[in-house]
Parts: sequence; C-alpha cells; structure tokens
Amino acid sequence: MSPKEAEKVISLENAAIGYKWKSKTEYIVKSAMSVYALKGELVAVIGENGVGKSTLLKTIVGFQPPVSGDFRICSKQISSYREKELALLMSFVSTEIIRVSNLSVFDLVSLGRYPYTNWFGKLLAKDRDLIEEAIIAVGLSGYENRMVNHLSDGERQKVMIARSLAQNTQVIVLDEPTAFLDLSNKYEVVHILHRLASEKGKTILFSTHDLTTAIAESDRIWLMLHDSVEQGAPEDLILNGNFNAIFPNKNLLFDQEKGDFRIRKQPGRKASVYGHGLAYNWTIKALIRNNFEVVNSTENPNIQINVNFPEWTVMHLSDETKFHSLLSLCRYLNGLEME
Amino acid sequence: MVETSVNNIIQNTRSLRVLLLFSILVPVFFVVDLLIGSYYISIPEIIKAIFHAENADSQVVLIITSFRIPKAVTAVLAGAALSVAGLQMQTVFRNPLAGPYILGVSSGASLGVALLVLGTGGLIGGSIVSIASSWGIVAAAWVGSGLILLLIILISSRIKEIMTILILGILISSAISSIVNILQFFSNESMLKSFVVWTMGSLGSVTNVQLAVLFPSILIGILIAFLSSKFLDAFLLGENYARSMGMNIRFARMMVFLSTAILAGSITAFCGPIGFIGIAVPHIARMSLKTAKHSLLVPGTILIGALMMLISDILSQLPGSESTLPVNSVTALLGIPIVIWIIIRNTNSDRL
Repeated sequence: MSPKEAEKVISLENAAIGYKWKSKTEYIVKSAMSVYALKGELVAVIGENGVGKSTLLKTIVGFQPPVSGDFRICSKQISSYREKELALLMSFVSTEIIRVSNLSVFDLVSLGRYPYTNWFGKLLAKDRDLIEEAIIAVGLSGYENRMVNHLSDGERQKVMIARSLAQNTQVIVLDEPTAFLDLSNKYEVVHILHRLASEKGKTILFSTHDLTTAIAESDRIWLMLHDSVEQGAPEDLILNGNFNAIFPNKNLLFDQEKGDFRIRKQPGRKASVYGHGLAYNWTIKALIRNNFEVVNSTENPNIQINVNFPEWTVMHLSDETKFHSLLSLCRYLNGLEME
Repeated sequence: MVETSVNNIIQNTRSLRVLLLFSILVPVFFVVDLLIGSYYISIPEIIKAIFHAENADSQVVLIITSFRIPKAVTAVLAGAALSVAGLQMQTVFRNPLAGPYILGVSSGASLGVALLVLGTGGLIGGSIVSIASSWGIVAAAWVGSGLILLLIILISSRIKEIMTILILGILISSAISSIVNILQFFSNESMLKSFVVWTMGSLGSVTNVQLAVLFPSILIGILIAFLSSKFLDAFLLGENYARSMGMNIRFARMMVFLSTAILAGSITAFCGPIGFIGIAVPHIARMSLKTAKHSLLVPGTILIGALMMLISDILSQLPGSESTLPVNSVTALLGIPIVIWIIIRNTNSDRL
C-alpha cells in the first residue's frame, strides 16, 4: 500500500535529471525516476560512480534545475520555492572538506542559523540554545571553541551535520558524508543520521558507496541502476536480487547472505573441507580467496583439508601435511599449483 | 548551555581586547607620522599649529595642515580600504593569496591613467607634471576602475562558478596590463617617468580638497563591507553552502564586488597601486583576533591596515634623512615577510 501524497516529504514522479543548455540541447543523466521518502526516514542513495547520485542530490537541493518531471518537497515543486523558503525546509552537507582556519566549532554551527538571524547575523538566546543542542546531538559537546581545521575528518563531518541540524529543517541532504571516514566513523556518522531521523522525525537523504553501513542503518534505499531506479527497505532489495544490477558486466558478485559484494572468482581447482565452527568458516574463505572451489567430499577432489584448530591437515594424493596457520597452508597449496 | 555562551563570550572578549589594542596603536602611530618628516617639528608646535594656528609659525602651520595631516589621513584611509577589500576577496574566492586588485580594478585604473598621461601627454606636451598632480589622473583612474567593476558585475551575474570569475578577473587584468605596456612602449621618456612614478604609489599627493572626495568614498565602501559581513561569513563555506542557507548569491556577490571596487579603485585613483597591504593584513587580523567572523574581522582589518600603512609611511620617510622612498616599495618590503611567515606557519592548514 503506497502512502498518500501528503505524507511524502520528498517525492519524485517521472523525474529526469541532467543538464540543459540554452540551445535546447539536453544531456539527460537519468530519467523516469519515481521514488519518495517519508517523515522520520533515513534514505540511502546507492549506485555506481557516474550513475547520477550527485546530480540527483544537487537537483533536489535546488542547485541545478530539473530537466523534466515532478520534484516535490512537502508537496510543492522544488523550483517554486524561493531560496529563503527552501533554506527553512532543507539543509545540505556537501562532500567537500571545509578548511577554514580560526573558525570555531560554535561559529561554524552557528552559520546554520543564517536563515533565521537578522541582517548582521546576531544570535539570540534561542539561536544559541539550538546551536548547543545541535552540537550535543552529534556528540561534540565540549568542542565549541575548538578550531575546525584542527579536527579529525570524522569530527569535522559531525560538525557539518550539526550545522545542518542548527538550520532546523525537515529535510537534510548529505552528499557522501562518509567518503573520507574510517570504518568506525562511518558507522558512527550513519548511526547519528539514523537516530536523528527516527528521534526528531526528520527526513534524511544521503548518498554513499558504503553498502554495509547503508544496509545496517537506513530505512529506505533509492537504488540507482543503469536503466531504472528501485526503492525499498534494504532487505527487500537484497531479497529481490536488485543489488547485483548495480555493477553490470563487472566481476562483482553480491553476496545475499552477507549483504556485501565480493569479487567474482574463476575457481580453478577443487578442494573439500571437513570441520566445524569459526575456523572451518574462515578456512573456506581462505580457499575461495586463493581461487579454490570448495566442494562436497563426495566429489572426491584431490585436495582434502581437515580443520582441527589450531591445526590443519592437508591430504593431497597420498601426502599428508600438517599446518599451524592458514598462511602456511595457503602457501603450500599455491606451491602445489606451480608444479 | 550557559557555560558555552560564556565560552563564546570569552572568545569574543579576546577579539575585542585585540581590537582595543589596535585602536590605541593607530592614533599613537598617527601622531608619530605627523612628527616625522624632512623638517623637524616638535609635539607642542604641532598642537599649537592645529589648535592655535594664528599664534604659530605660518610655515609650520602650512606643513602640518596641508601636508602632514592629509598624508597621515590618506595613509589611514588607504590601509583600511585596501585591507578590507583584500579581506573580502580572500573570503569570496576562498583563496589566501587573493588581494584587492585580483578583479583587475587597479589595472583598469592604470589603463585610465596611462591613457591620460601617455596619450594626452603627447598632445599637450610639457604640462605632464601639472596633469599628474591634478584631478585628471584621479578621474581617469576612477573611470578605468569603474568600467572594470561594471564588467565584473556583468560577468558575475551570468556566471555561476566563482572560480571562473576569478580566472576571468586575472585574464582581464593581464590583458589590460599588456595594453598599458604598449602605451608605455610608444611614449617618450618624461611621460614614461611620470607614469612610472604614479605606479610607485604616493600618499603625499592627496590634497585636502581631494580628501573631501576620497574620505566619503572609502566610508561608503567600508559601510557596504560592514553590511556584507553575514554574507562573507556564509561565503567561507563556499557558494553551495551559502545558497543552501538561503543566501541570494548574486546580490551578495554584487555587494562585495561593489565595496571592493570602490575601496581599491578610489585608493588607486588617488595614491596609485599600493601592493601587499591588502593581502597581508587580513591574515594578520585572522591570526591576532583568532576568529573567522567578519563582524570582527572587518573592524580588525580596518585598524591593522591603517596601522600598517602608517608604519609604512613612517619608514618611507627614512627617519633622520631628507629623502623619501616610494611607499609601494615599503609596503612590499613590509608585507612580503609577513606573507612568507604566514605561508610557513600555516603549512598544515592550507586555506584561509
């Protein structure tokens, strides 16, 4: 059952994005997009490089005009808003790293109050409270007087999110907010976004290449494929096999169990493995990494491995060799291949 | 929350204290500037010349009221104007090496002056010196920089990308400089000399009557910069962020370019192109005030710019000797070490 029009905070209907020049020539990046996002949802935009994620986000925040179709925010066409009105509804975080020296965290976050303050940008008590609330919401209280160019990439990204929170908008759009971050910061930032969406009822749209965090945290995914755009809960898209279409013609395989991609290997030789538990699973992974196809013992492959952690026994033809690490085991197996 | 407001106030008090320090230093150096010159005049004599002119030595009164005071006031105006213009350009283009002349305002002014001095000089003949010290040069330079301003505003209303405007500004000023070079090539020696002297900059050629025009122009330019301080804060994050916060980019750009062109154009018209103050002072202001907020940086650059220019003027008198140096060389020799120091100090943070 699809929700009513009025419930859709962001709604694209048969929308096309791209570039238009005066001479009526058009370059359409993507067309026939019909997706939406509701209140309280964290929405991840996923797709291959060049598929139009950035163009889509730029069109939604109003930096470039749409080519055709409906782009609605809160039931009104984006292009019908004036800049000031749009700034009260939607804030934006770009992928660019902001390096301004002598700019304190507080002052940067206070820029979020831009649409509300007077001509000179004077902060009232209410503005200060909202700024402080935003800094606390991203977990940076105590950082108010730190200079932004002395922060780590993760902290800086959180400050940029705090700035958009201080703007107090229904919608937040972020272009690859996790691009420069390490694994733990990636999880943390996406988790913060999820919490903000569900606790504050915001609609947060972000593009990302990081499938694992997107699947773990987002409520909805807009999956930008080459010939279509699909939307759904991450698990729906996995079950429908949509993710494999992200990278067509590439040597990547979407693992539906793990929810992540791996390189499609051309398995060479066969091996069978006996054992159980964690060591058994990781032995299979090591074999796959070394281009083995792990088969059932009924096939009688000429390499058979017995896992009895911390010891591995390899039976090759009539030889039987014992190993104490997967590293030496793999070296031995690759040596066999040479012969 | 109370605590952070307090912290924020402490941070602002630091900036305010630095501002207070500079607002004491500026009048002090203003007085020092009045004291120094080829003819020694003591402080009591100066006071007498200003407040009881009828009882003072008429020679001293003339020197003080017609030469030293206008020159010191011009130094204050030039330093403040160029520094505020430089601050605005560095912020809008997000480039630490941008300065007041980056849009080609001074090359427009020098084309105007070159056309006047080198072009009409050939027709009129020997009266170059009188032209050089007259309103002619001022008017020519103003027209030149005004036309460049119109061109830049026209371009900026059509072009979205701010970096394109920067590149076009640099290209336009190079093209104009080439035209000036051609004019120089075809002019005779005495005309060439009076043009070259103009390019060296001078604070001393501004008369009291001219000050009556220069002063309000600079005031207007600085007022526009004050009114743009919220825009400038938003420009720090780049135009995309600024737009997403509801700023009208075209209007904001126009305000900033208008202010820069009035400030840099007027100073160039009256004093010739004066380099490096406009690039160095905004950096000194940011570092000493420890802030990026333009509501503090604009007054900061006004004070520090005025101070730097007064110091340059004092140094250009070569205290203790009778000759003076071209002020442009002094500002460069004073400004370049500061810029080098900034570059070396800031290797880790490569932006503003």
